Amino acid sequence: MQIDAIEAALSRLMPPALSEDCQFEIEAMLDELASAETVEIVETPPHSSRRWIMGSGIAAAAAGLLAIVPFLKTAPIQTTAIASTVSSGLVLVGELDRVESMTDEGWQDSDGSAMHAVRLNVVAENSLRDEETGIVMEVSEPREELLLTPITAF
Amino acid sequence: MSSPAQQWKQWLAENGPRLLLFARGWSNSRHDAEDLVQEAILRMWHHQAEKGAVPPDLPLVFSTIRFCGLNHHRSESRRRKREGSVIYLNDFQDVWLDPLLEEDEEAVVLREAVQNLSQKLREVVVMKFWGGLTFLQISETLAISPNTAASRYRYALEQLAHELRRVKEDRRHAN
Repeated sequence: MQIDAIEAALSRLMPPALSEDCQFEIEAMLDELASAETVEIVETPPHSSRRWIMGSGIAAAAAGLLAIVPFLKTAPIQTTAIASTVSSGLVLVGELDRVESMTDEGWQDSDGSAMHAVRLNVVAENSLRDEETGIVMEVSEPREELLLTPITAF
Repeated sequence: MSSPAQQWKQWLAENGPRLLLFARGWSNSRHDAEDLVQEAILRMWHHQAEKGAVPPDLPLVFSTIRFCGLNHHRSESRRRKREGSVIYLNDFQDVWLDPLLEEDEEAVVLREAVQNLSQKLREVVVMKFWGGLTFLQISETLAISPNTAASRYRYALEQLAHELRRVKEDRRHAN
């Protein structure tokens, strides 16, 4: 049998397609990878000496911290998040929110509701890479926060 | 202009089957082959990130699948040594190639013959015939000379032709 003939015979065979599950998994992975690279830089607000935060993500984290307040009066605590972001030539390669110290200020009255107050000294550290030069810059932003958690049980 | 994810999905739709076929040569099952394809695409995505996030060239993906397959093969060999002998059963539906036309004897024989080719020959056939790569691209993928790639292809096709002839003669004698 000639080579041409065997090639003609081979042309009747086709590779099977990826399974639907596999196709779906890879497409979901591609969406995830693509979205990770298009996260916009969220501009952080200027330094504020007193910032009242309620119901934000950090409050949720703080709720967990409250349990260990008596043991961690001044212990530095770190939370990290990494984002790869492109905006005007700067890529956000790292985000770090470091809690330098925290002090339990007991109960406070806020609009007639009893709240548990915790004062935090936080340093936000962002690593930005200049796409043109490759230089990585560290931007630090200290701030003080007062976390108020509603007291619902006595 | 479509987003990178859309471009990659379209690229996957066009090339998924040929990548799967190539990966199948490095896997024990179709499922493992699909995992291999997914792993290679993930690696390719990161590799292409600095090249405009465009879908990669096929020769590079074949190389990556081969690299991933080798890694899996090594770890699998180590695992087998640890766990002793393992019997792998073939899935009845786990075919490498689908006949385009009706399931005639020649197509079935050819399919089995392709599967039974040695690894060296089979990957050249897959890349050349179903991957559409040139002998130069195959030679770069496998780190061999273009002449060697062409020789392996020709030798593989001769083996396939020989197998088909043998089956036809057996059939004639049976009749």
